[in-house]
Amino acid sequence: MANTLGYGGMTNHLGDMQNSKVILIMGANPAVNHPVGMQHILKGKENGAKIISIDPRYTKTSAHADLFARIRTGTDIAFLYGMIRYIVKNNLHDKQYLDERVFDWESIVVEAEQYTPDVVANVCGCTAEKFLEVVKLFAENSPGCLIWNQGWTQHTIGTSNTRLGPIMQMFLGNIGKVGGGCNILRGHDNVQGASDMANLSDILPGYYPINEGSWKYYSGQWQVDYEWLKGRFKTKDMMEKKGFALSTWPWGVIDDENAANNAGTPLKALICIGNGISTITMTHKTKEALDKLDLVVFIDPYVNDAAVITDRTDNMFLLPAASQVESSGSVAATNRSYQWRSQVVKPLYEAKEDHEILFEFAKRLGFYEEFTRSLKNGKPSYEWPEDATREFNRAVKTIGLQGVTPERMKRQQENWALFDPLTLRGSGVVEGEYYGLPWPCWSDKHPGTPIMYRTDVSVMEGGMGFRAGWTDKGPDGKPVVVAEKNGQTLLAVNEPAGSRFKGGHLEITADNIESFGITLTAEEKEKVKGKNWKNDNTYILVNKALEAGLCPYGNGKARARAWDWADQLPKHREPLHSFRQDLVAKYPTFEDKKDHYRTNIRYASEQNKQNWVADFPINVVTGRIVEHMGTGTETRASKYLAELAGEMYAHIHPTLAKKYGVDNGDMIWVHGTGEGKIKVKAVYSYSVAETDIFMPQNFSGLWSGKSLVDKYPKGTAPYALGENSNQVTSYGYDIVTACPETKCTLVRIEKA
Amino acid sequence: MSPRNSTELLNSKIGRRSFLKMGALTSIGAVAVCSASEPVVKATPSQLKEAYPGSKKVKTICTHCSVGCGIIAEVKDGVWVRQEVAQEHPVSLGGHCCKGADLIDKVRSTNRLRYPTVKKDGVWERIGWDEALDSVSAQIQALQKKYGPDSIMMLGSAKVSNEQSYYIRKFAAFMGTNNIDHQARI
Repeated sequence: MANTLGYGGMTNHLGDMQNSKVILIMGANPAVNHPVGMQHILKGKENGAKIISIDPRYTKTSAHADLFARIRTGTDIAFLYGMIRYIVKNNLHDKQYLDERVFDWESIVVEAEQYTPDVVANVCGCTAEKFLEVVKLFAENSPGCLIWNQGWTQHTIGTSNTRLGPIMQMFLGNIGKVGGGCNILRGHDNVQGASDMANLSDILPGYYPINEGSWKYYSGQWQVDYEWLKGRFKTKDMMEKKGFALSTWPWGVIDDENAANNAGTPLKALICIGNGISTITMTHKTKEALDKLDLVVFIDPYVNDAAVITDRTDNMFLLPAASQVESSGSVAATNRSYQWRSQVVKPLYEAKEDHEILFEFAKRLGFYEEFTRSLKNGKPSYEWPEDATREFNRAVKTIGLQGVTPERMKRQQENWALFDPLTLRGSGVVEGEYYGLPWPCWSDKHPGTPIMYRTDVSVMEGGMGFRAGWTDKGPDGKPVVVAEKNGQTLLAVNEPAGSRFKGGHLEITADNIESFGITLTAEEKEKVKGKNWKNDNTYILVNKALEAGLCPYGNGKARARAWDWADQLPKHREPLHSFRQDLVAKYPTFEDKKDHYRTNIRYASEQNKQNWVADFPINVVTGRIVEHMGTGTETRASKYLAELAGEMYAHIHPTLAKKYGVDNGDMIWVHGTGEGKIKVKAVYSYSVAETDIFMPQNFSGLWSGKSLVDKYPKGTAPYALGENSNQVTSYGYDIVTACPETKCTLVRIEKA
Repeated sequence: MSPRNSTELLNSKIGRRSFLKMGALTSIGAVAVCSASEPVVKATPSQLKEAYPGSKKVKTICTHCSVGCGIIAEVKDGVWVRQEVAQEHPVSLGGHCCKGADLIDKVRSTNRLRYPTVKKDGVWERIGWDEALDSVSAQIQALQKKYGPDSIMMLGSAKVSNEQSYYIRKFAAFMGTNNIDHQARI
C-alpha cells in the first residue's frame, strides 16, 4: 500500500466506520480478531451501512453481514479486477478523482478487461451473480470503506492484493474521504509501532531505507561516528543489505546455500524478544533450525512455546521479561494513534523490562555508553521512557512523529473522555487535537491525521495529498526523485484546502522551497543548506511548509503502476500449492528468487514440482479465535481463557467428513505438503466449504500427537495445549515482503 | 467511582453478543475465584461500597490486539487487585473482549517465567541474571569473532512499547547486522 499511496498505514480509523454507507470486508474477520473494533462496524450497520463479507469461510463477521460471498483462497485479485471492470463499464468510477490524483489508472482498466464476471466466477469459485451483487452493492453506495487483514497479506502475491485494494477504492474516489478508506486491521497491539520503529530488516526507524544516507543520518541522531557504526558491520555492503525476515531465518540456519547471502556464514544464534515464532509456516523447519543453532535466547514473560518444541539439550536461555502492563511507554494502535500505556505494577518476580535487558547486554558487549548517548542527549542521565520518546520525536521525520510528544500523549490519556469517537477530535483542554495524534503529526502544533489523504481540509487540520517522492533509477543506477514517468506527471492536479501553492509539487527541499512562494531569511537558508524535510534537524523546512499550507512530503499522485516491481500492475497468480492445477498454466507464479531476505526462495520450481492437489486434495484456512492471541503463549496461560477455548480442532464440512468416514469428534491426522503432520479433533461445521478445513492458529504444546508438557520448566506450562497448525501450512513467501503463504495451503487427511 | 459517561456505550446495545457475555463472565469469575481463597468474613458497609480503600486507578492500554482498548487497573499497595472497563475511552467505550477483560491475569497468572533459566544437559536450571547475561554476551562475542556479526539473528516484537522497539532496532544496528525482524511479516 505504501507503494501505491505513500504510506502503508490504515487510512481512516475504527470510529470512522460509523460514517460509512457500505463496508467491504475481505480477508479479515474483525468479529473474532478485533471484537471491540467490530462494534464500530455494527454501529455503522445500525446507521444504515451495508456490510459485505468476502471470505473462503463463513465467519462470525459473515454472520453479521448483509451479503456474503465465498471465494477460493488466494483469488482476491481476480475479484478486485472484476469489480474495477464493472465499475468502469457502468461509469460508476470517479473520473475527476482519478485524473487529478492517480498515476496511470488507465493501465489498470486495460488489465481489468480480461476479468469478466464469468472469469471471476471461474477463478474465485463464486457465481457470477453473487459477484455482481457484491460489486453493485459496493459501488452504488458511498462512501465505502474497505477492510482487510492477514487474509490478504499471507500469500505469494500478498503485496499485489494490498496494492489493488487501494486502487479499486480510488476508482470510487473512496480514499481521503470520511467513511471511506483502506482500513487494514493490524494483529498484535503494537504491530504498527514496531514497524514504525523498524524492527524490520530492510529499514531504519521511520521507514528510512538502509542506504548510506540514512545510516549517516541515524549516526547523527544516535550521536555516534558513522565510521564507528560502519565498523560494527562486516562490510559496508552488508550494512546496506536487507537481513533475514521472521519468515525466512530458519533457512539461514538449515540451508547452507544461504550462507552466501549472509556474509558467508549460516546463522549461529537467535535472540528472540517477545515473538511467537511458531506462528510462521512450517514449524517443523523452525524446530530443525532451533535444534541446530549454537545459542538460543528467549526473552518473554511466559515460556516461549518454541523452547519446548525444540529438542536441543544445551545452551538455551529463557530470560523473564516484564509484561507490558509492568512497563510504560507509547503504543501505536491500528489507526496510527499513539496511546500512552502506564505501568500498572512493578515487574513481578525477577522479571526485567525489555529495555533494561538490552542495556545490560550493551554493557557487557561494550557499547553501553554509545548506545545511551542520544538518550541522555547531553544530560548526565536519562528518564525512561520519556527520553526515548523524545529521541524518536527528533529522529522520525518521515511519518511526522515530531508532534507525538510524551507530554501530549499523557495529557490525552488523562482527558480521553474529551474525544469524540466518530471523529477522534478533542475538546476542552485538548481542543483541536485528534486522539492518539495519529501520524503524520508534523509538529507540536499539528493535531494529527485521523483520516489520510484528505484534500477537503487544510494540512494543519490533517489534510494531505498522496506522496510525491517516487524514485526512478538515475543514469548511475542510483534512485532519483522524479516528477514524471513515461511522459505522465506524478504530481497531483488538485491540492489540500488552504494550500498557498496551487497544484502538485515535489517534496520540500532547501533547493525548491522558495519556488512554492515561501521565502527564507539568509540565516535560515544557511541552516537548511543541502537538506530536505526528512533530514532537516532545524525543522525550518517543515514548519515553513506548514505555514504555507503545504504538506512536507509534497503533493503527488498515487501510483497505479509500480514501475520498479516484478509485477508493475498487480496480477493474479495461482498459489504455489494451488487447488486449481488447471489454472496454473494461465496464471503461473513467479520465477524462483535468489537472495530474497538473504534466502533462495522457490516459486516456479515449487509450484511445478508435482500435481500437488492430487496428493493433497484439501484446502486449509487457518485463523485466530477470539479467546487467544498469536501462539496463545499468554492467553493459554490464563485459566479462564483456557477454559473458554482449551482444545485444538479442525472444522470440517460434513460432506467432506463423510468421504473419509470421519464422525463429528473423531481424531484425524492432517498431513502438510512439507512433511509436517498433526492430530486434531474433527468438528463438523457448515462454515467451511466442502473442499476446505479450518484450523485455529493459536495452539501449541502438542507435537504430532505427543504432548510436550513435560518439556516445560516446572510450573510454567500453559493451561491449554494443542497441535500447532503451522506444522502443516505450506512453503511459500510473498514476492516483496516474504510474508509466508499460510493462507493457501493444501493438506491430506486421514482418520486417526 | 466510575467517571461520568458522556458518550453512548457500545456495550449497551450489543451486550447480548456472546463474546462479550463470555468476557463479562470471565471477569466476574476472576473476582469470585480470588475471594474464594480468602477466609470468609462479613463485609462492613464501607467495604461493600469500596472493596479496596486507598487504592489508585491507573489508566492503561490493553496488550492483546491493535484496537487499543482502554483499561482501568485498580492497584492497592503495589498489587493489581481489580480491573474496570474504561467507559470513556474514545475507541473502546467500555467494550472489552474476553482477552481484554482478563488482562489482569497477564500479570498474575501463576505459570509465568519467574527467573532466568537455562537448559543444560537436557535439564532446565535456574540461574542468576548476571550469570545468564555474562554467558550469553560472551558467547555472542565469540560467535561474532568467529563467524562475523551476521551470524546472529534478532527477533523484535510487536508486543513491546515504541520506545523499546526503537531501542531493539538500534541494538541490532550496534550489533552490526540487519538480521532483525518482527511480527509484521506474518
